[in-house]
Amino acid sequence: MSSVQGQAIFRDVPEPAPKRPNIGQRMWASRADYLYVAPAIVVMLIVIAYPIYYTIELSFFNTPASLSLANKQFNGLDNYVTILSSPIFWKVTWQTVVWTVLSTILAFLLGLGCALALHREFAGRAMLRGLLLIPWVVSAVAASYVWKWLYHSDFGAIGALVVQLGLSDKPINFVDNTTTALYSLIVVNVWKEFSFAMIMLMAGLQTVPDTLLRAAQVDGASPWQRFWHVTFPHLRGVSTVTVLLLVVQNFNSFIIPFIMTGGGPVGSTQIWITHIYELAFLRQRWGVGAAYAVLLFIIMMTLGYFYVRALTRGDDQRAGA
Amino acid sequence: MTAMTESAVTSRRGVGPWRWAGRIFLVFIVGFTVMPMIWMFITSLKTGFAAMQYPPQWWPAEPTLENYWKLLDPSGSVGRDFVQYFWNSMWVSILTTILAVAVAVPAAYAFSRFRFPGRNFLFFAVLLRNMFPAVVFLVPLFILMRLLGLVNTHGSLILTYLTFGLPLAIWLLKGFYDNIPIQLEQAARIDGATRFQAFFLIVMPLSTPGIIATSIYSFIGAWNEYIYAYTFLTRHDQMTLPVGIQRFFSENATDWPGLMAATFMMSIPVVVLFLILQRYFVRALTEGAVKH
Repeated sequence: MSSVQGQAIFRDVPEPAPKRPNIGQRMWASRADYLYVAPAIVVMLIVIAYPIYYTIELSFFNTPASLSLANKQFNGLDNYVTILSSPIFWKVTWQTVVWTVLSTILAFLLGLGCALALHREFAGRAMLRGLLLIPWVVSAVAASYVWKWLYHSDFGAIGALVVQLGLSDKPINFVDNTTTALYSLIVVNVWKEFSFAMIMLMAGLQTVPDTLLRAAQVDGASPWQRFWHVTFPHLRGVSTVTVLLLVVQNFNSFIIPFIMTGGGPVGSTQIWITHIYELAFLRQRWGVGAAYAVLLFIIMMTLGYFYVRALTRGDDQRAGA
Repeated sequence: MTAMTESAVTSRRGVGPWRWAGRIFLVFIVGFTVMPMIWMFITSLKTGFAAMQYPPQWWPAEPTLENYWKLLDPSGSVGRDFVQYFWNSMWVSILTTILAVAVAVPAAYAFSRFRFPGRNFLFFAVLLRNMFPAVVFLVPLFILMRLLGLVNTHGSLILTYLTFGLPLAIWLLKGFYDNIPIQLEQAARIDGATRFQAFFLIVMPLSTPGIIATSIYSFIGAWNEYIYAYTFLTRHDQMTLPVGIQRFFSENATDWPGLMAATFMMSIPVVVLFLILQRYFVRALTEGAVKH
């Protein structure tokens, strides 16, 4: 604490003041600043803080199907016990892990490949980048319908293509099949989001100093060595942020499984979010749904901690430089 | 610029096979990206009969724009609904964008410039919102909308779209403000401008690209949103496109060419907007993650 104050005096920065006034005084002194953030904070309190509070409360109650809040009954940790003791929980969790991990790895690798291939200036580069970003921009609803049609068991283009290439004698049923459904949806998800990784990594590549690459080349490093020892270490910061954002996004996926399979066949594409939706809105088990949501909050807050740390580490480095 | 030419020179030597690998990879990935969209378009040019054939017609024997006319003809029932959904989406997305940007501009500016107590806490609280999926907010927001009497109104959508639009807008705009040198405002203040004048006359014009980028983001996010619209709206005349097109095509047997035409039309506004303003869009996204 004292060292921080010492530095502040030394650098002659007006705030934090050498002898810190208490928090109330400081808040009063910067009351004009709060005016700027006030509208945002009010909106956030209504649409974010209130729902979080409410979800936590609901998770400890048994609420009737009609969602009539006057008749809810406190049932302690029953909702949580119900979740953790259900075999479906472990099945859905495993599927969520497969979905999240595979989607993230594939999207990241495809994105990295594209970023490297597009790094060098060439004619039509901006156009290609734009083209590759379109899946990321179109709605997941549109993407889900298109892929549902591509995978169609009778008239789907992919099934027909597989037959024409001689890989199978009849169209393959990708989505109505418990062993292939989840992986088929992962392909759709990767299609939708790999260009997000690409765009982040392209920006990251621009921070790699050309002089270092040249120096490495002069010293006789092969292209692979240059990538691995020069380029990749510079991408570590962006990669961390990108992977974390992809993990969060994938863990929270809803639209693709919901529209393409509705969690089926026989629950083989059910992941956490679609399961929560089913519990709450289709089976009116509000308390169990809320308890799931609370568990999800905890997981997301843990990831969020790493996310904020990854972002602020960059800040500190910049401040130190 | 010199760095660019240098790197071009560097990479011209001894990387032949790698360059070819890169090209082949690009061809493959472009195919993977584009094929579904091309197939969407080709299917939308078919009649229902032509679409339901095996093996499929890779190009329709008799291409037709019939599916598009049906969607756009306000005298038919399909067209009436589609046009209504389209304007509902437009109206909700534009209003969400204006509100999100109007509220986010002062907040982002304050987070970038001022050092008030609780600044970091509030900023990260804003940021962490982006880690929570819409579904976990559904039940409480549904109750809230019932309380406010907003169920089945566009007000419920606009208010909830701010849950994801606002944090994103604040984060993106803060990135832009961080890159505008504070000395410019200090100079203006020395010349006698008030804090508000310095903001409106100096910072606002410089942050126009940021505001454009943020607006595109909010617009696209609102335009594509599905879950809240699916849950909060039951009346047909209120529905937005993502929900509307589903209602209409899955009632009996699915009319795939019609559905593909509808998804194509639904994608046009965002893709066009994105391609025109790509430069701002890309810059805004990476601004926060990669420090310059």
